[in-house]
Amino acid sequence: MTTTMDRRSLLSRAALGATGLVAATAMGSLAPEAAFAAQTPDAGQPDPNFAEGVITGRNQDLLQVQGSDGRLHRIQLTGVTSVWKLRPTTIDQARIGDGLYARGVLLPDGILAAEAIWVNIVNLTVAITAIGRNGVQFDHHGQKVVGHVQSGTTAAVYNGTPAVSDLSMLTVGRHAQVIGAWRPGTNEIDIATIYTSN
Amino acid sequence: MGTLAAAQPLLIALILAWSGYGKLTSPDQADRTALPRLLGESGTARPGWFGASRAVAAYRGVAVLEIVIALLLLRSWAIGAVAAVALSVGFTGFLVYSKIVVPEASCGCAGKSAKPVGNRAIGRALLLLATAGLAATASTAWWSAGVGLLVLVVEAAAFAMLSAELDRYWLLPLRRLRIRLGHPYAGTASDDTPLVATQRRVLLSPAYRAVDGLLRSDIHDYWDDEDWRYVSYAAKYDGRRATAVFAVPHQNSTPSAIRVAVVDEEGLTLYRPTVLATAG
Repeated sequence: MTTTMDRRSLLSRAALGATGLVAATAMGSLAPEAAFAAQTPDAGQPDPNFAEGVITGRNQDLLQVQGSDGRLHRIQLTGVTSVWKLRPTTIDQARIGDGLYARGVLLPDGILAAEAIWVNIVNLTVAITAIGRNGVQFDHHGQKVVGHVQSGTTAAVYNGTPAVSDLSMLTVGRHAQVIGAWRPGTNEIDIATIYTSN
Repeated sequence: MGTLAAAQPLLIALILAWSGYGKLTSPDQADRTALPRLLGESGTARPGWFGASRAVAAYRGVAVLEIVIALLLLRSWAIGAVAAVALSVGFTGFLVYSKIVVPEASCGCAGKSAKPVGNRAIGRALLLLATAGLAATASTAWWSAGVGLLVLVVEAAAFAMLSAELDRYWLLPLRRLRIRLGHPYAGTASDDTPLVATQRRVLLSPAYRAVDGLLRSDIHDYWDDEDWRYVSYAAKYDGRRATAVFAVPHQNSTPSAIRVAVVDEEGLTLYRPTVLATAG
């Protein structure tokens, strides 16, 4: 934990300009082609640097993922992989049974070295049908979905204005777009952001 | 009891007419019900009878049957009541089949509703069956039922409450009123800025445009320190692994106030754009 704090304070000082800048030429070539060296997918082929599916196994930080198209993926998480599960979190939060999207670089041995994964993320267009203390009830094209509010995380965007934590302007009958984290095996989600009007 | 039974045909006729009208005006609804599966049409719709798909044709057929029975009930109520019993048995059977075999299918009972068949729809069909059964025992015509007609108001209300299609006319306004009296999330407002608000400011900032091509991940870490919120991303700079860290001031909301630095694994600052103010 102390290393995390040290790294954070170092990054904070760097962002505010309190650290010296390394001369760029000391780092070697700054040729623009280096930035675009990542391979691009062939037209009509699945993007090799992307994977989606359900986590069926986990060995340390190597995930086994069954894609919805039946393909099997092996996904390597590292300390620099960004993990979203309702909020940016740590790699230990990716559990068996979770669904995920992963983006990274496909290594020659077939393992996808993940740079970013999004766990259980859903993006739903819904109508708000009820608001209660144990959650917001949505109608998602006829299916009932229960959205749970997570204090400190759930945010609302009203009429496109900046997000706020105030959910008291949610209205029954309004349409909404919800970004959230699905609770596997249920029709329930935790709400990250709800976009609606008031 | 006699007048009560005698009054029923009027109610059944109104319900069947409403239901038949709903089916006729939105025949596309047929594809959302369990009808395609029942008629062996699952998957792509094939031309069946009369040029329309078999499900749509059957759906229209049921609608016409409902309206014919409704007219019968108004005139020859004794025959109509027996026909309505048979129809309600059919409805109940179809809905139970639908709930078991195609759980995601909608009821299609009275036009547009995407709701899957639930206990309410089956309850409504059973209520219709009971009403039709009662009507079959009637010995006088509905227009001589007298006070029995008043009971229909209560029954109609029961039907309305079991109809998901009518929820927006009474259930949603009730819930809206309930929330106006006391919102369950009235206490959620706080001074903390949600991360998604910070993220949006970062995405719209000149600092983000300066390093966009270097970023490799989504938000990796974030933290607050005094007047700033920091957001870090995994980045690649000149082929080396690095971290891009944004500093977002809490107070100053101008896009150019957001700063960024690219820091390598050893903690050396590799890149820090400085002329952001003019880029905004």
